[in-house]
Amino acid sequence: MTKKKSPYQAALDELYKYLSGFVPLSRPEFSLLLPYIEIREFEKKVKVIREGEVERYLNIIARGLVRKYLPIRDKEVIIQLATEGHIVHSELSFHYRTPSGSVVETIEPTVFLSISYDSLQQLYDKFPKAERLGRLIISDLFIKKDLRYFDQLRKSTRERFLEYIRSHPHVLQRVPQKYIASYLNIKPETFSRLKHLVRLK
Amino acid sequence: MFAFHNQRWMLDALKQYISRYVALSNEEFAFLADKLVIRNFDKKQQLVRVGEVETYLNFIVKGLARKYFYKDKTEVITQIAREGEIISSSVSFLSGTASPYIVEALEPATVFSISRRQLEKLYESSNRIERVGRMVITHLLLQKEEWEHECIRMDTRERFLHFVQNNPDLLQRVPQKYLASYLNMKPETFSRLKRMPRARQKESK
Repeated sequence: MTKKKSPYQAALDELYKYLSGFVPLSRPEFSLLLPYIEIREFEKKVKVIREGEVERYLNIIARGLVRKYLPIRDKEVIIQLATEGHIVHSELSFHYRTPSGSVVETIEPTVFLSISYDSLQQLYDKFPKAERLGRLIISDLFIKKDLRYFDQLRKSTRERFLEYIRSHPHVLQRVPQKYIASYLNIKPETFSRLKHLVRLK
Repeated sequence: MFAFHNQRWMLDALKQYISRYVALSNEEFAFLADKLVIRNFDKKQQLVRVGEVETYLNFIVKGLARKYFYKDKTEVITQIAREGEIISSSVSFLSGTASPYIVEALEPATVFSISRRQLEKLYESSNRIERVGRMVITHLLLQKEEWEHECIRMDTRERFLHFVQNNPDLLQRVPQKYLASYLNMKPETFSRLKRMPRARQKESK
């Protein structure tokens, strides 16, 4: 007999795998967390959070592709390109409960596993293990952010381009070139020159 | 029993820092304080060197320290920390990888340090202390995010003004070339901005 599976079963399985990468978590423990999680779907090019709104959610991407950017005068500076398994939200707004300075916008149709600020606080109060999970996930985000900043300071444009392409080969297919250029803080002209260089190899 | 019981004010400084996140009871705080070591550094002495694995998370009770790395032969400063702040080669501390950074005292410094092992033990035994840990790391993450936003939003002059307004004390205590490095600007640019009269600094924004 086959049990009918939720269309999001695969996404939830991924979430289970992601969380148990941080702490040992039994399936029954995991199922206690599920009522706190919302599944949110968006078309492409939808602003999930706008400038000036207060961020309600922390999102893990189950499927899709998202960018986070700062609207500066007449341009947008991308500070995150996030895909399956990544956490994306306006974190300053989420934690400080202040209006967001950044915009989170989908590039592809996207499914989020989201937890609201209030649910997260409840989770921390009810499940002692959530405390460790939260601490380790945030430490992981901290490490990634620190390394990105370190690379920006230490490495040449060319090195950053090559490393990014090497570690995110699929992103080049999915993301408009100008977005990757903005994220890597490389001029679009320089970006196409570098891309040409990779092709020739 | 901790060896620095006669230096109550130092513990009070730490307790105050923690109370921003979680109100620990006296027992909980004493339990935590018991795991700390106190370390003293001379000016220019290094807390951690390039290639070492960072053993400690440090809370500054007195003094000033900077964190930097070498880009070719040039020092690039990524943090300047004073009393009441945390400094450490944090990625190395958290992940156990070799530190690409140097942490060095800018003034004679006294710090409370906790080793990763002791910290893990604390987390094992107290959920509330683990919450302190979660909130501290969240705060450090958000500081980085804020710094990134500022670097993108503000031009050189705005960044200078913003920094000076928020850190007048560091302007007195830290050599200008270090502040310039931290703000990612040339030392000449820093001193030119500093010489500008206040009124003109503002109107030229």
